[in-house]
Amino acid sequence: MKRPFTRRSLLGRLAAATACLVVAPAVRAAKAAVKTVLVSTGAPKGYDPTQHKWLMVVDVNRCIGCGLCAEACKLENHVPEGPFYRTWIERYIIKKPEPGSGETHGEVLVDSPAGGMNGFHDVPVPADDILQSFFVPKLCNLCEHSPCVQVCPVGATFDAPDGAVLIDPKYCIGCGFCIQACPYGCRFMNPVTHTAEKCTLCYHRISRGLKPACVEICPTQARIFGDLKNPEPDDPIEAFVRNNKVQVLKPHLGTEPRVLYAGIDREVR
Amino acid sequence: MPKMPPQVVRLVLLTIGIVGSYLIARYFLTPASFNEYGHYRGAALMEIASHPVVFAGKKSCEDCHFDEFERLGRFEHKTLSCEGCHGAGQAHTENPDIRLAILNFSHCARCHEANPSRPSWHKQIDLRDHYAGEACTECHVAHAPSQVPESPEAP
Amino acid sequence: MTNAVTNIVVELMPHFEGYVYPNEATPQPLWSILIVLYPYITGLVAGAFIMASLVRVFRVKALEPVYRLSMLTAFAFLLCAPLPLLFHLGHPERCLEVMMTPHLTSPMAIFGFVYAWYLMAVLLLELWFDYRRDLVAWAEQTSGFKGMLYRLFTVGVTDVSEPALKLDAKIGQFLSVVGIPSAFLLHGYVGFIFGSVKANPWWGNVLMPIIFIMSAMVSGIALCVFNYMVLSWIRRRSIDMKCLDVMGMFLFYALVMDAAIEGLDWIHRVYSAEEGFKIMEYMAKEKLFYTLNLGQALMGTLVPLLLLGSLQIRALRQRAPEWLRRRLYFIGSVLILIGVLAMRWNVVIGGQFFSKSLRGVMSYKMEFAGLEGWFMGGLMLALPFIILTVLIKLFLSEKLPSAGHYEPASLKP
Repeated sequence: MKRPFTRRSLLGRLAAATACLVVAPAVRAAKAAVKTVLVSTGAPKGYDPTQHKWLMVVDVNRCIGCGLCAEACKLENHVPEGPFYRTWIERYIIKKPEPGSGETHGEVLVDSPAGGMNGFHDVPVPADDILQSFFVPKLCNLCEHSPCVQVCPVGATFDAPDGAVLIDPKYCIGCGFCIQACPYGCRFMNPVTHTAEKCTLCYHRISRGLKPACVEICPTQARIFGDLKNPEPDDPIEAFVRNNKVQVLKPHLGTEPRVLYAGIDREVR
Repeated sequence: MPKMPPQVVRLVLLTIGIVGSYLIARYFLTPASFNEYGHYRGAALMEIASHPVVFAGKKSCEDCHFDEFERLGRFEHKTLSCEGCHGAGQAHTENPDIRLAILNFSHCARCHEANPSRPSWHKQIDLRDHYAGEACTECHVAHAPSQVPESPEAP
Repeated sequence: MTNAVTNIVVELMPHFEGYVYPNEATPQPLWSILIVLYPYITGLVAGAFIMASLVRVFRVKALEPVYRLSMLTAFAFLLCAPLPLLFHLGHPERCLEVMMTPHLTSPMAIFGFVYAWYLMAVLLLELWFDYRRDLVAWAEQTSGFKGMLYRLFTVGVTDVSEPALKLDAKIGQFLSVVGIPSAFLLHGYVGFIFGSVKANPWWGNVLMPIIFIMSAMVSGIALCVFNYMVLSWIRRRSIDMKCLDVMGMFLFYALVMDAAIEGLDWIHRVYSAEEGFKIMEYMAKEKLFYTLNLGQALMGTLVPLLLLGSLQIRALRQRAPEWLRRRLYFIGSVLILIGVLAMRWNVVIGGQFFSKSLRGVMSYKMEFAGLEGWFMGGLMLALPFIILTVLIKLFLSEKLPSAGHYEPASLKP
């Protein structure tokens, strides 16, 4: 019934606790020393996460569905093969309404074969039946109120001070709650590490002054990446937001994403 | 003061023991950099940031290939990243002996194959009609795409 | 690499209809049979405890024969409640992080504390105070390993004087009062783990914790009926029919409340017909047809309502012979136990049957072997019964005379 608790076990516990008190600081110091050595190799110097606030704007009108972004992301971040994508492209095909149906549009077909990594060669619908069709690149929406961070039981996923939503792979317990909580399907369970994984905005690149791989590789500049705290002299994002009406995905959920979309249809979810 | 009943004394001791060992465990098992920026391991930021880079970025291409770079900048393909066609280049920047692909440009179709989902401003060609069977590079120069060959009848 | 990826996707494609986000196109659901069992087992704990509280707090004398059995049932199942959760983790060895650096906005982190509180501050303590007098006596009478166990469980307190026992009863009463909201909190929080997911219209619902609490009470009482009848049958003792009738009554009324609230939930969903309604309708009609309509609604709710309800009519109850009543109660409780399991399945698996794009549905094939397979599920479900058997051997033994307040009269030799 009650957990066995005798004087002897109490003494044992006290002894163990004292031993911990003596040994632990030494262990911790050694650990910290090892860590500084390990981390300093190859880590970007002088990156201060509190001095940036990243965001991305996606101009759907410029996306040609080549799939280079999805392919580059897999390469850059060593994302495992299979249905695991940190970024992907969706194709929307809105068919013409049946004549006399009295509807504004017909059936909506959405697909993303292999995350759009290999492009979209096959067109499933004859061109004449298409009312409208477009591509939508998807990635982590950089929510201001991230539901995924909110539900993490241990603090393994977090909003970094610079606005990136990251996962600590050494701390994640792999419960999958964040994957369930992400409304945008941006997270997955890595089958190799058994931890949750997602778009880091290519944190290892942006902290070195590079652009995220998907932004770097995009031939049409459909993705514009920027820093709200250090805008460039003639910042493309500022100009873009001034000249376009932008919106976010699933605004009714109150997640307030910092990935802004220009030119998306109501069918995009 | 009345004497505390023995079962209560035991329970209080037990509670102190359990809560105490929890607090001690918590003290030692909380990672060092926890709560540096928030409720997470602050060290994780730099750990994630220290992953190696695969795509070098257009700027590092310019360091050596400035003439090609300058030429590309004068034509429509100026927005393209070098690595979009030539492949990831970080290894090449570190060791130039590791060569990148010079493509025969079947790659062109990836962006320029006609597709009803593509926006109309984008140049697209029907691969079956437009000199089918011939390599794009027979006529076109990838770094200077608008230097169109003399073939006005091209669809 | 590209070829391999295409192959995998082509292989998987037949499992999906419509559009699902690429990351959702996995062959297995993220949360599988283990996470179905987790709220099921936790609910049985809460229900069995509330059943026991009927005796302690609400002084329902007729239920005294099952008081100790209900408490031990609650305890055995509580010990197993976190196991499925633990086993499904990608890194079970990191589980202590939930206690060391709990993220207080996460329902799952809070569950760790609610669980610890409920186990140590409510259930263990109450059991200890209930059993203290017996433990001291048994410790003296029994030798060998069992005797050592009893001596350990007394924690060295041997005072069984009148004032000490009075104090025990008082504290026990207090703990029981604290225990009821704690049981609600325990299982309400499990419901909140699902109810808090606003990304998923099947889960994100304010009624979810309440539905979970109600179904927990129903399943817990049903489990106590089941256990009492099975134990009596094993020991070849006659069943206290008065006790069984009262249990049946509470089971019936709890089921009425549960059915009413779940019905209300569905009325609300159908009436407001929000964004995700179309896909939910499809699920109820196609993907979850058997488990939702047949398992949960018909066999798990309607039939037991009729069986137990008919016995609430006095004329019928008085006319029904004992053997018939026994059978009806037994069938009713088994059906309810299966129905609530189906309900947990519908919630957990149902919530992963459709894409969060609300444009497509997934199909999964459950495996027999493996961590998330049928075999493991069966094992997880059998474990609390095995523990309960050991507990009954230790604390509800027929060989040891008991001086407990709530002596299972009919189980006396």
